[in-house]
Amino acid sequence: MVVEVPRWTNAKMEIATKDRLNPIKQDVKKGKLRYVANVFPHKGYIWNYGAIPQTWEHPGHKDENTGYYGDNDPIDVCEIGSKVCSRGEVIKVKVLGTLALIDEGETDWKVIAINIEDPEAAKYNNIDDVRKMKPGYLEATVDWFRRYKVPDGKPENQFAFNEEFKDKDFAINIIKSTHEHWTALVSKTTDGGEINCTNTTVSDSSFCISQESAKATVEAVPPFGTANTIPPEVDKWFYYQKN
Amino acid sequence: MLRLPAGRAEEADGAEGGTSMRAGLGQAWRGLRLLLSARSGPCSGAGRRRRRLALPLCSGLSTMARCGTEPRGRPHSPEYRLYFKNAEGKYISPFHDIPLLAGSKEDKEVPAKRSKTNGSEVVFNMVVEVPRWSNAKMEIATKEPLNPIKQDIKRGKLRYVANIFPHKGYIWNYGALPQTWEDPRHKDKDTGCCGDNDPIDVCEIGTKVHSPGEIIQVKVLGVLALIDEGETDWKIIAISVDDPEAQKIHDIDDVKKHKPGYLEATAEWFRLYKVPDDKPENQFAFNGEFKDKDFAVEIIKSTHEYWKALLHKKADGGAIKCTNVLVHDSPFCCSEEDARLIVQSAPPPASGDSVSAEVDVWHFLNK
Repeated sequence: MVVEVPRWTNAKMEIATKDRLNPIKQDVKKGKLRYVANVFPHKGYIWNYGAIPQTWEHPGHKDENTGYYGDNDPIDVCEIGSKVCSRGEVIKVKVLGTLALIDEGETDWKVIAINIEDPEAAKYNNIDDVRKMKPGYLEATVDWFRRYKVPDGKPENQFAFNEEFKDKDFAINIIKSTHEHWTALVSKTTDGGEINCTNTTVSDSSFCISQESAKATVEAVPPFGTANTIPPEVDKWFYYQKN
Repeated sequence: MLRLPAGRAEEADGAEGGTSMRAGLGQAWRGLRLLLSARSGPCSGAGRRRRRLALPLCSGLSTMARCGTEPRGRPHSPEYRLYFKNAEGKYISPFHDIPLLAGSKEDKEVPAKRSKTNGSEVVFNMVVEVPRWSNAKMEIATKEPLNPIKQDIKRGKLRYVANIFPHKGYIWNYGALPQTWEDPRHKDKDTGCCGDNDPIDVCEIGTKVHSPGEIIQVKVLGVLALIDEGETDWKIIAISVDDPEAQKIHDIDDVKKHKPGYLEATAEWFRLYKVPDDKPENQFAFNGEFKDKDFAVEIIKSTHEYWKALLHKKADGGAIKCTNVLVHDSPFCCSEEDARLIVQSAPPPASGDSVSAEVDVWHFLNK
């Protein structure tokens, strides 16, 4: 799992699928840096959030479970362990289940997983273990995804399967098919549109480049600098009754 | 002569002021005016002055806003201290030297702040100890001279409050009202328990996340009667007068309307927050019901009385340090120079230690 957003933070960081070497960057919407709202009682993201590498939700493919096309991104993961991970950490996770979110009309699976290094990882083997040992967490997860864009003036999101979490085996099948879509993408069997498939290790991909070339890409980007302050409106807590 | 802000015509929100609310407030307000009517003149702090009940005045909102802090020692260490200074750069105690009531009619410097409350609302100073969503248990050190803010230590370890799912750290800006004291020798008639020996606690529910050591002006909205480990531990619910919604929120029912779920979450938080430390669930008086503003103001009044007795040696504070710089009639008043020596004996400021990952654990308690 590539960690994009540490638990309890707000900045919407994501793998830049259209930029060469796909660094993590902060999403920009309507010309402004995007910060996810705090929807009471939640503070920022309520799990470490990120993506499974080498997966792709194909926008040209209508998912047979949800009836909607893919969102053109790697598949998303909510990691539920104790540790707050850092942006850019690559961690090993056990998949436990998945939620079928339909985010603004696109298929947007949310894989539920736990860091294998979590002190309690051995007790988590399937979605029911999450229900048992972290009561309320799955309900909070649905609530979060249902409402998180409402403060931005968007409607509540919907889900397939009546908001039910599917189990590990189901989740692994979903991951498998998004992996197949990715394979087709990097082997140029599918047209990825603006997706940048530049890589340095998929040697049979026509998008593979050398280390020197990769280095030049990174060095062409502005150097690391001191952080700006986060605007205080990011701390606002939004309250409203659930529908 | 300090004139207290009387019920004035300027009401930012017109009809929302309401006659019945004002009438109810009036009673509490009259009580407070009587209590504080002995105040006289702004104090300049130079040496002692013989004056009857000359309570400290760092006069006015603008002066409070300019009160500064001086950190000493390394943050997240047992030696860390945050000392307070007034607008003139003199070291003061946040427990004793900051006026409980904010604002004075003479304060012409920040007229803008005035318009955020209606004329009859009482505004208090609040000392912020813990920013919303943080975990470090910072508190006014009542047993150290000049009462700096420090991190609480329990069983030899720096204390961090647990994250009780779905909550992250403290769910409000948390702190204290200066010049108040929950007297441990008094059994409270509502809770049946003795006071917890601390200034009265405040949960500030506004949008902005404040910093430890900030002095902010708040409107009191209500109170929760917590019984924490068998001691009376009132939790005042308040909102910063500068909050964008302050004009809509005047009493406890407004909190229910504008922030649904927040009061329930507050009661749940206080009930459960020590369970991960193997303590039992806490209890409440009044069945966990939040009492309204008038009731809260009465509670504040009595804790202010207990504090006055403390500072004038009429009550035995035990290990409480009443050292102050501005309560000139208090036998515990000390000089500027003495205050400076106290602060200078603390370790020099340094950059912070990293916080242990344990602090991030989310505790799921079966309900």
